Amino acid sequence: MRSGRVLPVVVNDRESERRTPAKPLYRIPDAARDPFTPCAPLPPLRAGENDLTRLAPGRPQAGGEAIAITGRILDEDLRPVRRTLVEVWGANAHGRYSHVIDAGRNDAPLDPNFYGFGRLVTDDEGRYHLRTIKPGAYIARRDIGWWRPPHVHFSIVGSGVRLVTQMYFPDEPLNEKDYIFLIVPEADRDRVIGQPAASQHGDRAFRFDIVIRGRFQTPPDLD
Amino acid sequence: MPDGSVRRQFTPEATIGPFYPGAFLTDVPQDLWTVAPLVAHHPSGQPIVFVARFLDVLKRPVPSLVVEFWQANAHGRYRHPQDQSAAPLDPQFDGFARVRTSDDGVLRFMTIRPGAHPVNSGGGAIRAPHLRLTIFASGIDRLVTQVFFDDEPLNQSDPLLQSIADARVRDRLIARRRTESGEDDAIEYQLDIVLRGDDETPFFDDWTE
Repeated sequence: MRSGRVLPVVVNDRESERRTPAKPLYRIPDAARDPFTPCAPLPPLRAGENDLTRLAPGRPQAGGEAIAITGRILDEDLRPVRRTLVEVWGANAHGRYSHVIDAGRNDAPLDPNFYGFGRLVTDDEGRYHLRTIKPGAYIARRDIGWWRPPHVHFSIVGSGVRLVTQMYFPDEPLNEKDYIFLIVPEADRDRVIGQPAASQHGDRAFRFDIVIRGRFQTPPDLD
Repeated sequence: MPDGSVRRQFTPEATIGPFYPGAFLTDVPQDLWTVAPLVAHHPSGQPIVFVARFLDVLKRPVPSLVVEFWQANAHGRYRHPQDQSAAPLDPQFDGFARVRTSDDGVLRFMTIRPGAHPVNSGGGAIRAPHLRLTIFASGIDRLVTQVFFDDEPLNQSDPLLQSIADARVRDRLIARRRTESGEDDAIEYQLDIVLRGDDETPFFDDWTE
């Protein structure tokens, strides 16, 4: 039996070096192949969860540049991934995450009006729309001067598809020096960069379409 | 896929990084014994606790690692639109949970023992009871594997487990039964999952051809 992929290690990333499996992935034999990627039940969402620029509707807007990100989520047959959960998170305009882990290693300030995470559900065409603050860059390893460019984390979990990725911004000189960006094969790098789009309600907008391996299984209640 | 051009359309995967929001854990089930606090309904089946410790190449624990569990109910049925088996659904059991490791790299997953089930793509093979794990952590992209139970005779004929030729490697996917845990008569199973190293746990390639 042929062996599967060998996962690449991100250079200069100690966690990647210590945690990435060294052996090729094992192939799933045909006799055990079935399409059952988790079918996560949708959690209830609160109003405004797709607007990360405010802690809640009516609250003050966070500092920095408000941006819109829109796109479609498609499965491997390019069919829309409908009513699936999309979770997004990112740093504030200063490049600081609200996560407690970032408190000890990042001098950049918190923004009292920005938590930097939100959720939404795609529509029947697989479309999503969110609003957030353009994240700042931040230093990942001071000793080697490794900066992470601005990026937004995306997680998609639905019936038959699962993907976690990061969206980068166009024309950012730091992209080409970022070891996590550089692990993406050169031919695929455009696929993780949001593309400029027509502004929405005065916000600079980016389009970010996502194509996921796997076949989305429409749940019976959506048929 | 017919050629490389289609393959290149896929959005590349990436790590969750160090800053995965805790809020994404609290709004998703973490304990499949109960449907909600103080509700008398419970899923059918034998309650179990799966205790997993995650280690890196230096055998140091991996904290804040996130596992998404997915499993059949006690009757061997998944709550998935493609599972058309005759086994019944359990109204109290969805089979999906998201659990994070603590600072010592350990998670405790309260669930019920899944049932055996036929392979859903046909062919007639029987899958031994198992948990499906999708693993995320800072430094790694999504990993998938499956975990079995050491007191289960069907392991001997499970097509996935037996596809691994080396018995020592197979053993790394088999959780060991410990004494009764004392919590609601649950049975406790334990397993170390080694992400990288000589005794690395087998992970699977679920990319479609």
